[in-house]
Amino acid sequence: MNALTFSAGFAPSRIRLVDIRRRQLLTAQLRMLLLGGGFALVALAALLRVAWLGVVQPAPAEHSMAQALLPPRGEITDRNGTPLARAFPAYALWFNPDALGDGGTPLVKPLPDVVAQLKAIFPDLDVAETTRILAAGKPAYLRRRVLPEEVNRVNAIGELALETPAETDRHYPQGKLGAHVLGYVAADGHGRVGMEAFLDERLLDPAQRGKPAALSVDLRVQGALEDELASGMRMVDAIGAAGVVLDVDSGEVLALASLPAFDPNKIDAEGQGNMFNRVTNQVYELGSTFKPLTVAAAIDAGAVTDLSRRYSATPYRISGYTIKDLKPKGSSLNVPEMLIYSSNVVTAHIVEDLGTKRLKQTMVDLGMNERPYVELPARGFPIWPGGNWPLLRGVTVGYGHGIAVTPLHLASAYAAMVNGGTWRPATLLKVKPGHEARGRQVFKASTSARMNQLLRMITVYGTGRNADAPGFRVGGKTGSAEKPGAGGYQRTTLVSTFAAAFPMDKPRYVVIIMLDEPKGTAASSYQRTAAWNAAPIVGRLVPRIGPMLGVLPDEGRDIDLSDLKPLVGGKD
Amino acid sequence: MRHAILPPAIASQPWRVLLPLTLLVCFGAAVLFSAAGGSMQPYAASHLVRFAVFLAVAMMISYLPADLVRWAAYPAYGVVVLLLMLVEALGQLGGGSQRWLDLGPIVLQPSELMKPVIVLVLASYYHSLPAGMIANWRTLLPPAALMGFPMALVLLQPDLGTSLAIVFGGAVVIFLAGVPGKWFLGAGATALVIAPLAYFFGLHDYQRRRVTTFLDPESDPLGSGYHITQSKIAIGSGGITGKGFGEGSQSHLDYLPEPHTDFVFATMAEEWGLIGGLFVLLVFGIVLRWGLIVARRAPDRFLRLLAGGMTATIFFYAAINLMMVMGLAPVVGIPLPFMSHGGSSMMTNMICLGTLMMVDRCSRRAVTPGLG
Repeated sequence: MNALTFSAGFAPSRIRLVDIRRRQLLTAQLRMLLLGGGFALVALAALLRVAWLGVVQPAPAEHSMAQALLPPRGEITDRNGTPLARAFPAYALWFNPDALGDGGTPLVKPLPDVVAQLKAIFPDLDVAETTRILAAGKPAYLRRRVLPEEVNRVNAIGELALETPAETDRHYPQGKLGAHVLGYVAADGHGRVGMEAFLDERLLDPAQRGKPAALSVDLRVQGALEDELASGMRMVDAIGAAGVVLDVDSGEVLALASLPAFDPNKIDAEGQGNMFNRVTNQVYELGSTFKPLTVAAAIDAGAVTDLSRRYSATPYRISGYTIKDLKPKGSSLNVPEMLIYSSNVVTAHIVEDLGTKRLKQTMVDLGMNERPYVELPARGFPIWPGGNWPLLRGVTVGYGHGIAVTPLHLASAYAAMVNGGTWRPATLLKVKPGHEARGRQVFKASTSARMNQLLRMITVYGTGRNADAPGFRVGGKTGSAEKPGAGGYQRTTLVSTFAAAFPMDKPRYVVIIMLDEPKGTAASSYQRTAAWNAAPIVGRLVPRIGPMLGVLPDEGRDIDLSDLKPLVGGKD
Repeated sequence: MRHAILPPAIASQPWRVLLPLTLLVCFGAAVLFSAAGGSMQPYAASHLVRFAVFLAVAMMISYLPADLVRWAAYPAYGVVVLLLMLVEALGQLGGGSQRWLDLGPIVLQPSELMKPVIVLVLASYYHSLPAGMIANWRTLLPPAALMGFPMALVLLQPDLGTSLAIVFGGAVVIFLAGVPGKWFLGAGATALVIAPLAYFFGLHDYQRRRVTTFLDPESDPLGSGYHITQSKIAIGSGGITGKGFGEGSQSHLDYLPEPHTDFVFATMAEEWGLIGGLFVLLVFGIVLRWGLIVARRAPDRFLRLLAGGMTATIFFYAAINLMMVMGLAPVVGIPLPFMSHGGSSMMTNMICLGTLMMVDRCSRRAVTPGLG
């Protein structure tokens, strides 16, 4: 009863209150849980984020002080460490109208004052033009190159809008020298044309660019080659010239020149036109310079065993085409005489004896059917007759027609012919002693020794006499090929080549000199053939480069020619 | 009892929180030592001294009777608001914004004091509010006024970070008090509407840039995105084990802005790596978990709200700072509790801690027999 009254009298409000209290407590607990959950979620997010930043996200690249001091692009040197291309930290003068960043006038001082101060620093400043640029309020270069002390003086003006951004530049201290070997660096920071293009990755690689890249080129030899080549080219008014000096044992290119050249420091339209490399990219029919290679192939194959054997030198027909000599030297000639007088007819007989298949194989072994082996990006593909060569084709190839290769092809082939018979790819990178390319044996050593005698005889008794620098034991072969033009070969436009090696008693270097379209001038006795223009260049060049390369003139030494001398009617 | 050897005054302290916290502060001092280039001066020494001083203050607070604290809520609130107005007035006279009050030996930042005080006053308000009236919207007006007035004053300084902290502390107390959930949803929805409006009309240019920078720090890595970018680099370059004590290049070479205050976590993470970061997060986890447990066990509504609000204030500091440093929140000048060098933040956080200790003490006294 009591309980009933109690419940009837007080219960509703009390129960409600208790109910509310309980609900509130529940809400409070729930809310606390929610809050704790919120905290946990945020903590989890932070945890994941820290783990992400610390573990997954790649750490920023570390730059050490040593790295910061590296040149932006590696240096290129010659084989002796003389710089050929170096990084050149340069500054520009740039007008940045937004430098003050307050939306007002770009300059603090009055415009004429600023221009006057700039004029004081740069006496050759174009006041009107500079005033126009500064007044226009658009970002622009005021000067492309500013010297460091000038940068300090520009900064001392105190105009934020005059900025002097550091720009990297490429400097070729030797000017045009070796331009085709080096190439240049274009505005995008990557190399073009020469070894700058080939070495691009290495020169930019932070791990390697601290050390200069050494080329095989010898700067002194390169200088002598370009000098002699240029003067020889001027003397006979040729449209172009090419020259290469090759180490016969390592395949290293000691000098490589293509004229006219360009200045890698300043690339203009004219320079662009001259970037074409005549040594590695242009293919020529190199004419009679191929005859020694044919003879070597024949001796090697046993097709020529007796050098005293006389071949008929009268014109004869093959497949309706008459082979004849330009200047007949009698009715019959032996092999040494054939080389000395450069007889096409006798070459044809030798090819006939040798067989075209074997000749073709020798040419393949000498790399005449593919692009020349060298690092330069521009390498010309030979005009190479494929398939089975008919006799006429073999004969023309035998005296250097119907096949067109680069002068570098010829240099590598001559190197193989004189070095004991090993063909090696040419390289523009310095080769450490003992690290030469393995190469392949093309000729027997005995063949090579015989060829050295024969090449020497050409310069002693034959068409190469103008190349015979006294004491340097030069041997070599002339080649004068008519250039093909519209309607067949053109009698008056020639490519005259002299392919030489020295010293012939122990050949060390091959020199190829080539003139494109030489004219008959007083300097060449009004002759256009190689004996009168290319050979003299070799004769002048070898005495200059020989001593630099460790070949000293010695009148008392020479290759022994005594067994062959009687064959050409030579006097003792 | 367990700690029979120790005198009860020492044994009764919440050591399982104070020990990790002390470790964290010492760790912070080590980081500051490194940030100063391997020197106790000027950061590490004062950091430790302040901790010692404010730890003593916190212990004193913990012995205050709860009734006294509740009674003092409104007067304390009044005093701090007066101080805020004083700062504003001095700022106006001095010509320019001012957040500090120079009281001779100490420099006081009243907006910092407002963070615990707003929690205190709201806890006191909801304690006195009859249980049944909680769902009445009119009861929301006094808290709104209590929060709005100091918030406006702080915003005038202008100090967006602190005013947000005040709002957050207050909001958590209101939330814990049991105000209907749908109101919070409504407030959230309203915030969604107001946020863009505030962004375009309410924020200063520099604040607006912080927001856009937060959304895309890479847009201007050398300009306004510099802080976040460098901070992320610092944290990222620490990897798992860090670069080693005193080896942080980001802080020593001055890439990292404010390596000893706002970005102390990045300084730490660079040298101590993920391990150091986990330690810091762990200690904060311990402190906050303890705070929430204290709040749950609190014997009455006032103490519960007080403890919850104080925990939330510490949480807000830590969370916003960490988020900012990690590039998850815009750059607002909020230091990391117990690690950043700075007296005001140490004071606020130790007041919060002291209050939590007080609540802990009260609840233990209330249910002593049951406590294991």
